[in-house]
Amino acid sequence: MRKSLVRTGAAALALAMSVTALAACGPGGGEESGEPTEITMLVLGDKPTNGRLEAMLEKLNVRLEEEANAHLDLFYVEWADWQTQYNVQLLSGDDNVDLITTATDWLFAWENAEKGAFLPLSEEMLQENAPKTWDQVDAAGDWDLTKLDDGQIYFIPEDNFTQWTNHGFFYRGDWATEAGFEDGTITKFEDFTTYFEWVKENQPDAYPWDIAGPNDAALTGYLQGHTDGQTIQQVSAGIYFPFQTTESDPYTVSSWYMEGDELLEAAELAKEWNDIGVWREDALNYDGDTREEFFAGLSGADQHHTQTFVGSIVDNMTKKQPGSDPKFFYWGQENGNYFRDILTHGAMAVSANSANPEKALEVYDVLRNDEEAYKLLNFGIEGTDYVMTDDGKLGYPEGYDSSTDALGSNFWGGRMDEFEPDRVTDAPNKQEIYDELDASAKDYEYSTLVVNKDLIDPTLAAMGGVLSEYIPQLQYGKFDDPAAAIDEMRQKLNDAGYEDARAAIQTDMDAWAEERGLE
Amino acid sequence: MATQANVARQVRGGRYEPLPARSRKSLLRRIGDNRTLLLMCLPAIVFFLVFSYAPMPGVWIAFTNFNYRDGIFGSPFVGLRNFEFLIQSGQLWLLTKNTILYNVAFIVLGNILQIALAIMLNEIRSKYFKKISQAAMFLPYFISVVLVGVIAFNLLNYDTGVVNALIEQSGGDPLKIYSMAGLWPIIIILFWLWQSTGYGSIVYFAAIMGIDNSLFEAAAIDGASAWQRIRYIILPSLKPTFIILLLFSLGGIMSGNFGLFWNLVGNNAALFQTTDIIETSVYRMIISQNNFTSSTAVGLYQSLFGFALVMTCNYVVRKINEDYALF
Amino acid sequence: MTAVVATKRPRKVKAGKDDLVLRGISYLGVTLFAAFCALPFVFIVSASLSSESAIMRDGFGLLPNEFTFAAYEYIFKAPQQIIGSYVVTITMTVAGTALGLFIIAMTGYALQRKDFPFRNGISFFIYFTTLFSAGLAPTFIWISRYLELRGSYLAVFLQLLMTPWLIILMKNFVRSVPHEIVESGKVDGAGDFRIFLQLVLPMMKPALATIGLFLALGYWNEWYLSSLYLGSTVEFKPLQYHLYNLINTANALRNSVAGSNVSITDLPSNTLKMASAVVATGPIVLVYPFVQKYFVSGITVGAVKG
Repeated sequence: MRKSLVRTGAAALALAMSVTALAACGPGGGEESGEPTEITMLVLGDKPTNGRLEAMLEKLNVRLEEEANAHLDLFYVEWADWQTQYNVQLLSGDDNVDLITTATDWLFAWENAEKGAFLPLSEEMLQENAPKTWDQVDAAGDWDLTKLDDGQIYFIPEDNFTQWTNHGFFYRGDWATEAGFEDGTITKFEDFTTYFEWVKENQPDAYPWDIAGPNDAALTGYLQGHTDGQTIQQVSAGIYFPFQTTESDPYTVSSWYMEGDELLEAAELAKEWNDIGVWREDALNYDGDTREEFFAGLSGADQHHTQTFVGSIVDNMTKKQPGSDPKFFYWGQENGNYFRDILTHGAMAVSANSANPEKALEVYDVLRNDEEAYKLLNFGIEGTDYVMTDDGKLGYPEGYDSSTDALGSNFWGGRMDEFEPDRVTDAPNKQEIYDELDASAKDYEYSTLVVNKDLIDPTLAAMGGVLSEYIPQLQYGKFDDPAAAIDEMRQKLNDAGYEDARAAIQTDMDAWAEERGLE
Repeated sequence: MATQANVARQVRGGRYEPLPARSRKSLLRRIGDNRTLLLMCLPAIVFFLVFSYAPMPGVWIAFTNFNYRDGIFGSPFVGLRNFEFLIQSGQLWLLTKNTILYNVAFIVLGNILQIALAIMLNEIRSKYFKKISQAAMFLPYFISVVLVGVIAFNLLNYDTGVVNALIEQSGGDPLKIYSMAGLWPIIIILFWLWQSTGYGSIVYFAAIMGIDNSLFEAAAIDGASAWQRIRYIILPSLKPTFIILLLFSLGGIMSGNFGLFWNLVGNNAALFQTTDIIETSVYRMIISQNNFTSSTAVGLYQSLFGFALVMTCNYVVRKINEDYALF
Repeated sequence: MTAVVATKRPRKVKAGKDDLVLRGISYLGVTLFAAFCALPFVFIVSASLSSESAIMRDGFGLLPNEFTFAAYEYIFKAPQQIIGSYVVTITMTVAGTALGLFIIAMTGYALQRKDFPFRNGISFFIYFTTLFSAGLAPTFIWISRYLELRGSYLAVFLQLLMTPWLIILMKNFVRSVPHEIVESGKVDGAGDFRIFLQLVLPMMKPALATIGLFLALGYWNEWYLSSLYLGSTVEFKPLQYHLYNLINTANALRNSVAGSNVSITDLPSNTLKMASAVVATGPIVLVYPFVQKYFVSGITVGAVKG
């Protein structure tokens, strides 16, 4: 008797193990009609823990319930390992996420759409569930920016939001003046050598440019200012975008990594900078916070885009380094080779695994077009998270500390100019900067180009591997002989099938150009 | 009850099995007779079925242009395309070479150091000294590799690293360690030894403790020196332990201590030539290149190569001395 | 009792000159190696007690530079996160070690029984998984898309329950339990499971302590599976993954080219990272002396003697 009892115990344990392992924990599913549907939106960022997000969501959900009979929850892909986490989240086929923040340049929307992570959105579906969004994007003629070669729409562009995400250097006007630049203004990429040398000699506590991790900023900055290359956003190899056209020959696909001497010039400049000690010797392995170091006066430069400059750098530097006169040098400034923001730098996709795609679109339509919902989501609760100043700017209440009190909802896939007030933290000369950029920026011509990558995917993957080995080292000037290294890299890229990939893209480019009667 | 079970077995057997009655019966009986022991193994069997065997068909990804929509078996078949460049570029060879060389170094140096330490530990008479030193030797085992990376950076970096501070104090020029690929095999091996020697030595120490005392007494009577004692008694008696450990390490010769390598080297491409092993490369392909296919291709190669290697070694060992064979 | 406890070697009567030399070398060697092992830990602790500016300027040192508890105060000012992580990790460690240990012991016992005809087959079935594995991507797809375990602590908990190495180690431990005990149990009419539970298991305390410690360390130090299978889906990350995130956040953020106005001012600093490291590592180090006795003698018995 007891013997069999014991035996049953063992069997039960074994079974329990298999059951836990196999049964898994699927979602509940099956919502009753009438109950609000729970919609989850994937955003990037660290989930705030100050309680402000929850307070906002509670209010927002009241509004959403009225407007769409739905509730919104946010799912965060956190900054640590964000690329892994984002990829892994899509790969997992998680059906708990309905809306996914994406972007064609930094979140690889095309790749992910092709891989089937996003639900194709039919026109009827959009018109029915997100009518306001449909009308606005349609009126702007921007739906073509989001189609794959099957003619289907895969995401909704953030096409009604002015932002400048062209990259460049942030540097200190006060130091540049002392280094001998008139007005403390640097106008050529190479001139930073003088600036960095001055910082190295006269600011012993500071790195001329504290930068860290795999990066290609120094190379891209030079290439953009010394060629008329325009990067094709649709084709990436790993985290790199190796295909360009040129302004002079706009329908011929080439690569500035493969052709011309500019890459070598850039690499030689990087080597010169490395030898001066512009960045930490161990920049590739360093994992400190270099922007904070810029704010603390421990770095002479920082690198990011215009939006960061006008929204955060000027404000922080003015407060933390009074008199530092922060300035911005953008890549391509010297030759006018820079671009108006593509309209898909932010976008929103519906997950292919979403249980309620229609409802997700409905919610998105409200978030994007309903002023009350929009303000709640993006700015928070008025009086607590923000205040409107007398001159109509968005400011912060007394005692608000942006480092601990931030809302952090990070809705980057559908912001609207009409709901965005100026902010008190904006650079005073924001409009000037925008106007200057606007005056000579180029448009990205190829937004509607669709590249069929089925046959070249393995090639692109192989090229990505090669680039990830060479580019960071060229960027930090780590090769003793950059010329030899570049030859080697080019040889390997050729071996990986560069020419095949280029030819395949060229074919699509030709078809695209012909369709439009270009050249 | 027993009869009932037998009848049931016969019925079931009669319906399905074309085999002669006797052998069928004996297999079923064997299962029946050992059902408790089998049940005791069941959780482990289920575990390995679910977490190790079930995903195996997924290696098919290596032969496809994988996409989420069509899944593993619906994605377009591309044959060996994913392997082509890996082989052609010499990357697969580099990874194989690095992985195997590191493991060989770990096995050889690790065992020498562990045995030496075990012999020294055996000579220690003070109980407290032994206890404290053992505790210290285990300390690295408790430190997560995540931290090991941070420690390494703070020891080795150019500007504020402890090592360079010492070099400068003694009048030398600081070393750009994070660009010196040639130095890293030594660094990685040192960290590995730091992490695992303490534990490993305890295993050997235990084996020494297990040596029959009369051997030492006899040696003392014969006037054997301390060195002779080590040479003729201790070392020979460690041989079986050594061989078992060796074979087990061989099983993992194509894998590596991913956490250690990743946290020490990370994305520093300047060091890949000497530090990239199969597992770091697989991981990087996924995280920074979103490339599931090549990464699976490398993984599949790793499994096949490792499998062939171990089977060969095991075959050789079995020929030489069956007792030492793993299976 | 008999075979399970390692016998102490009696003191040598007379020590020759060579013995003394050997002993001298031994004390020196062991001391040096123990110091080598402990040194980095000293760096972490001292860094965690240094001031941020001193660390930024001078790097780590053996002794705290500008001594301060600031980093610890900061951690315990908002301790929810780290306490939550503790609860998660401790729960997983305790439950996982207990369950894993039981299954491993049971399996190891069965596989060691000479009269168990399937032992070789099952052993190979288990060992084979160390030779051939599906690899990262297929395993991930299987576990998240088919088992739907991503986002559940179970994904981490279950995968760490056992390894082939621990089962084989356990098999070796069980070997040292005299076969007569099993026989006597059989004579008394006890079933196999009862023999295991009531006769064999109590004799294997050192073995259980040893393998238990391995399992516990596996759970305690886990960050990799958490990063793949949990990511940010859970509110409280396992301790070491929480630490990994702390250490890598600034790095990750800088590499992003994200939308706009990301607030990065609240990111952890060097000393904070080190203090978190001490807080995350400390407890398991403190537990160790209590199991050391079993642990060392456990290995002694398991002593992979073929």
